[in-house]
Amino acid sequence: MQSASGMLTKFESKSSRAKGIAFHPKRPWILVSLHSSTIQLWDYRMGTLIDRFEEHDGPVRGVDFHKTQPLFVSGGDDYKIKVWSYQTRRCLFTLNGHLDYIRTVFFHNELPWIVSASDDQTIRIWNWQNRSLLCTMTGHNHYVMCAQFHPKDADLVVSASLDQTVRVWDISGLRKKHSAPASIYESQMNQANQQQADMFGNTDAVVKFVLEGHDRGVNWVSFHPTMPLIVSAGDDRLIKLWRMSETKAWEVDTCRGHFQNASGCLFHPHQDLILSAGEDKTIRVWDLNKRTAVHTFKRENDRFWVIAAHPEINLFAAGHDNGVMVFKLERERPASAVYQNQLFYITKEKHVKSYDLQKNVESPTLLSLKKLGSPWVPPRTLSYNPAERSILVTSPADGGSYELINLPRDGTGAIEPTESKRGSGNSAIFVARNRFAVLNTAAQTIDIKDLQNNVTRSFKPPLGTSDIYFGGTGNLLIITPTAVHLYDVQQKKTTAELAVNGVKYVVWSNDGLYAALLSKHNVTIVTKTLEQVSSLHETIRIKSATWDDAGVLLYSTLNHVKYTLLNGDNGIVRTLDQTVYLVRVKGRNVYCLDRAAKPRILQIDPTEYRFKLALVKRNYEEMLHIIQNSSLVGQSIISYLQKKGYPEIALQFVQDPTTRFELAIECGNLEVAVEMAKQLDRPKLWTRLSAEALAHGNHSIVEMCYQKLKHFDKLSFLYLTTGDEAKLTRMAKIAEHRGDFGSRFQNALYLGEVEDRIQMFKEIDLYPLAYATAKAHGLEEECQSILEASGLTEDQLNLPTFGEPLTPPKPIVPTYKANWPTKATSQSFFEKALLGQMEGLSLEDESTAVNGAGVEAEEDGVKRDLLGDADEEEEDAGGWDMGDDVVPEVEEGLVDVSTADAGGAGSSEADLWARNSPLAVDHAAGGSFESAMQLLNRQVGAVNFAPLKARFLEVYQASKTYLPASAGLPPLVNYVRRTVEESDLRKVLPVIPRDLEYLAEHDLHRGYKCMKTNKLEEGVTIFKNILHSLLVNAVDSEDEVAEAKKVITAAAEYTLAMSIELERRSLGTPDAILANPELLKRNLELAAYFTIPKIEVAHRQLALSNAMTQSMRSKNYSSALSFANRIISNGDAGGALAKLVEAARRNKATCERNPHDAVEIEFDQFAEFEICAASYTPIYSGTSYEECAFDGSKYHTKYKGTVCKVCEVCEVGKHGSGLKLFA
Amino acid sequence: MDPYSAEGELINIHNHFHQGQYQEVVDYDVSTLSPENELPARVLQLRARIALGQAEDALADVTGEKEPELQAIAALAEQALGNSDKAVGIIEKLTEAGTDNTTVQVVGGTVLQAAGKSEEALALLSQHQGSLDAIALIVQIHLQQNRNDLAVKEVTAARRWAQDSLLVNLAESWVGLRLGGEKYQQAFYVFEELAQAPATSSVRSLVSQAVAELHLGRTEEAQAALDQALKKDPKFAEAIANLLVLNVIAGKDGVEQKSLLEATDAQHPLLVDLAEKSDLFDKAASKYSAKASA
Repeated sequence: MQSASGMLTKFESKSSRAKGIAFHPKRPWILVSLHSSTIQLWDYRMGTLIDRFEEHDGPVRGVDFHKTQPLFVSGGDDYKIKVWSYQTRRCLFTLNGHLDYIRTVFFHNELPWIVSASDDQTIRIWNWQNRSLLCTMTGHNHYVMCAQFHPKDADLVVSASLDQTVRVWDISGLRKKHSAPASIYESQMNQANQQQADMFGNTDAVVKFVLEGHDRGVNWVSFHPTMPLIVSAGDDRLIKLWRMSETKAWEVDTCRGHFQNASGCLFHPHQDLILSAGEDKTIRVWDLNKRTAVHTFKRENDRFWVIAAHPEINLFAAGHDNGVMVFKLERERPASAVYQNQLFYITKEKHVKSYDLQKNVESPTLLSLKKLGSPWVPPRTLSYNPAERSILVTSPADGGSYELINLPRDGTGAIEPTESKRGSGNSAIFVARNRFAVLNTAAQTIDIKDLQNNVTRSFKPPLGTSDIYFGGTGNLLIITPTAVHLYDVQQKKTTAELAVNGVKYVVWSNDGLYAALLSKHNVTIVTKTLEQVSSLHETIRIKSATWDDAGVLLYSTLNHVKYTLLNGDNGIVRTLDQTVYLVRVKGRNVYCLDRAAKPRILQIDPTEYRFKLALVKRNYEEMLHIIQNSSLVGQSIISYLQKKGYPEIALQFVQDPTTRFELAIECGNLEVAVEMAKQLDRPKLWTRLSAEALAHGNHSIVEMCYQKLKHFDKLSFLYLTTGDEAKLTRMAKIAEHRGDFGSRFQNALYLGEVEDRIQMFKEIDLYPLAYATAKAHGLEEECQSILEASGLTEDQLNLPTFGEPLTPPKPIVPTYKANWPTKATSQSFFEKALLGQMEGLSLEDESTAVNGAGVEAEEDGVKRDLLGDADEEEEDAGGWDMGDDVVPEVEEGLVDVSTADAGGAGSSEADLWARNSPLAVDHAAGGSFESAMQLLNRQVGAVNFAPLKARFLEVYQASKTYLPASAGLPPLVNYVRRTVEESDLRKVLPVIPRDLEYLAEHDLHRGYKCMKTNKLEEGVTIFKNILHSLLVNAVDSEDEVAEAKKVITAAAEYTLAMSIELERRSLGTPDAILANPELLKRNLELAAYFTIPKIEVAHRQLALSNAMTQSMRSKNYSSALSFANRIISNGDAGGALAKLVEAARRNKATCERNPHDAVEIEFDQFAEFEICAASYTPIYSGTSYEECAFDGSKYHTKYKGTVCKVCEVCEVGKHGSGLKLFA
Repeated sequence: MDPYSAEGELINIHNHFHQGQYQEVVDYDVSTLSPENELPARVLQLRARIALGQAEDALADVTGEKEPELQAIAALAEQALGNSDKAVGIIEKLTEAGTDNTTVQVVGGTVLQAAGKSEEALALLSQHQGSLDAIALIVQIHLQQNRNDLAVKEVTAARRWAQDSLLVNLAESWVGLRLGGEKYQQAFYVFEELAQAPATSSVRSLVSQAVAELHLGRTEEAQAALDQALKKDPKFAEAIANLLVLNVIAGKDGVEQKSLLEATDAQHPLLVDLAEKSDLFDKAASKYSAKASA
């Protein structure tokens, strides 16, 4: 597909025949007019169709963008010229006048004019501002195929016609007439002239030259932007070059080569080149000075109809039978190399220069490489050898060649190298002080050469090798279309291999521990042993990358500089207005080369990524430092922290009271919330705060909120529940004062003040109620007085019978005196550090305050340094990463021309699963165990994977079938999908054995059965198995996620319950236990704890009954009584357990006679508590605890960091992003 | 005339071979064949015997023969006996100067691919002139390399000139099982038609049918087909392997099949792959550990 000399296709569209094209001068847009009457507006950078304009009738042959206004013009076979606004997406108006097909339309560069060429043999100039026809130029005696203004000289128009001529027209008359008149006199003269001229024929535009030379019709003609040259293309298959002077014009030369009609031609805007396109399906590039062919690009099937150049940048477009292609003629990436503080690069003039990155000075030209390769082919790469101060330059010319040159000490100008060694090869790089490697892709060999250019060894690289890079000492990174190999030059073998598609560049970190592999849309970070650390996807093309000293990769896309941390967390650093190639980051400066090969310095703000890096490394000092010293801690960081589940850290950055309030509520920091609510004082906030405070049991804040909100009813009830009678009385007073009888009644009811209620009823004339109240409370005197007051006797009344009068309970505990004990909110180290800071501690003090974290971070650092181990990093990054669950976006529209037909093996469907899904199970099914583990580690802090092995292998096995195909060959492996209907490879996902439904229906019930039949060991195994299976699983909807969570919780509770009972049984024989008081106590405790986990009622009865029996046996009647009561209150679920209830009733009677415990045990039947799954001891509410992020089992804080006893996989107390089962 | 075409003499024996009815191929009466077809028929019978596990007999049969076809068969037999290097050596010698002998290409391609030399195999097979056997092999190799795109291309091209040939149908079904979606059902029809007609049924086509059903998510039907296959040949490794997969998918234990497979074909890709993944798991798991131990 690709011609030898590198024409680079940047974009291709598929459509019907493209007849006209125009580049937008500023934006990455191209207009394409089609034979099918549509005009398309494409973004060729993104590869997306922005808009379609469909008002023409029949083919549209000409389009042009206005240089400054949001306008474009089109002309078609409906004889109409239409002017459109692409902002309002409408046709603004139509210019009518032509009597036949319109071939081309162009805007004037300065004047509000349009020139059009038509098959009616005329050229017309129009004013689009007043929408009038200015001039009709006649003279051609056949179709006019093309007419263009001169890009600089406002007075010239050139046209081409099927009458075999090219004409140059002078329109100075027209311009004078229509530009602002100098005086009234002149304008009158003009008016007179105009009339005169019109009567005699047209003097506005006169033919200046008629250029004859083509033997057939001429299809296209263009002016040279600066020189007095014209180029034309004709049906005689020739491209002709013409020159003109003031007085005459003549043919200079002819470019021969097209073997079918030549349809378009133009001058290269910046270089001495001519481009032409023809119906022979070729685009040809000619040397303007020598008129020799430079390149030919051939398409398989499509004839070219039109060619256009971007006015500013190095881009061209050609329209053909099936769409358009946007391309450039050569790579614009300057060859460069960085060594320490020196940047070596090759300029557009092929001069080698260096740039001192420390002093920011550019050296004079060190060398001239004019003679390297062919004149139109820039060098591709540069490799620098500091030991010898020599460079290796490769050029794609002549099928690939390299040159080894020594650099002079000082630049003395553009001298030719005195001595150079050259050879053929596609890539050449230094691999050691005195050795370099040369890849020859055609022969598929790599030669290691010494500096005398002699081959010292030679070997065959893996098939399909396309490029080589330095791979660390003694190693090469060998790039193939689908993989990267780490190749040991000494041993001549691949030591590691990583499947990455289409890698184009490799960038090593400054410490040589990591490398970034750049492909068109992906950045893959690997260690020096080629183990993948992270990978990210960009929709925009990735151009270059460089490492910061701290291990952050900065990379550039077409329009951004972005960063990525080693864990794949990435973001934008700044936008770019033009493409640059990054070479170095230093502090706030990014050094880069632009497309003109000029060194440039970009200013960046590294705060964001430094902060995130500090977060990842738990470097709190650094974080504090950043917070203190950087002005910009923007909204994005706050939302980042918030999203990551660290509102308490985010809280520290926010000043805005509303946001602070939200964050405070989110992290349960009531003090801050109160402070903010007071500041803002809005009812809505108080309501939210009251709800949150209520949930915390912080009733004094609730009280304050209700007071603020004037929620008297709620206040009264709050006082009632907290037993604050004094305040309740005051509430009654307030109610009386307010004259709110409803409220007064309520308060009186709460206070049990009957008299007050009767008094009130009387006040509002509700005597019947007053009487009933009095009667019900036995206040006969009161009754009488009411009767008297209302003039009735008792006989006249018909009263219902009253029950016992209701008296409100009296408070026993003065709850109101203090808040209920709240759960200790565990403060993050960071928060503590910040608090420390607020108290005015110095930085040193803070570091001791946070020493736990500091030491940890340091340890990590040391480990990393010693081992270069990336996983440690991953582990620390758990839960902080935003990017890890994002499925790479699908690339669309862009047609990748370069790799379409590359040979070699592809990646299997199993590899795709990992790409298609963020679920660990899909990674496991695809055999990508490392990434599956990584995901689980981040999601739920999984660290001990051994118990998951069976599940991993099960999932892995289930997804592959073995199809016997040809005799004598191994079976074909195919991949079983759960998405049976799907055939789009970007959406397919593997089948999952034992899914949620299966587990809920089979395994869960088997587990219950074990519980019932007292097979606890087996039960524990089954429930753990359920946990493991659900940990590595996938479901179809959010509802199922909730269901899965339920099953997980149930399985965890059962595991815990059964483990407790098993522990109890392992204490010893009943006799041994009885003999040992300690064991006896433990025995009773465990029996009691067995009743705590939330298992099915029927099973709980078994546990309770067990506990009751144990207690009875040890004469712990009080405990036994509580168990018996619980059994009875649970009732006999379904009758099968009736015997248990019966037994409980009997025991209850026994116990009630002597409700005392013989053995003191640590079991408070009234307290609310959870059981620590490691020590099987209670965690009372209010004490702090740690959790397993997966199954939710609770632990005493001292077990933080151990492996969860329930699931046996996750680390206790490690917070992750949460288990993902559905994407 | 092409002896394998619908009117050709070899059509039946050739079809038997590709339907996996190797015994039928061996028992085929070759005495009525015209002389120019005797050698191809013999080659097919030898290949069938090798497929039936009688590689040593086949090797003895062709030892000392001069015809390149039979030398290629010798290589195939060596390959089947595990002498991969020797087999590749023979083929390389045979094809040193390029060859237009279809049998050598096909058998040679098989040997090379079996030895893991895919590129060489493709290079050899690409010299074929309209041989469906070669095309089927090329398709399989592309699929094994996960180049579905190239496999599709190859089949589409072949479909154009060999409309309803058995081999094209088979190759298309192989590709179909890779592509999935609607193609699963189409592949299933092809395999089912072969497997369920007594004249064409073989253990291989039964297993193929089962595989197609597995992909369609119809585990019970797949189970039935596999049972049928195992009844025909209880030691057919692919049947056991797929039954193992089926059991795992159905949430059952696959231990029984696994040990059975270990007994019949210890080098089956499933086992090799599984062992490899088991190591990979241990290696990957070893990178993680809890911060503290209880």
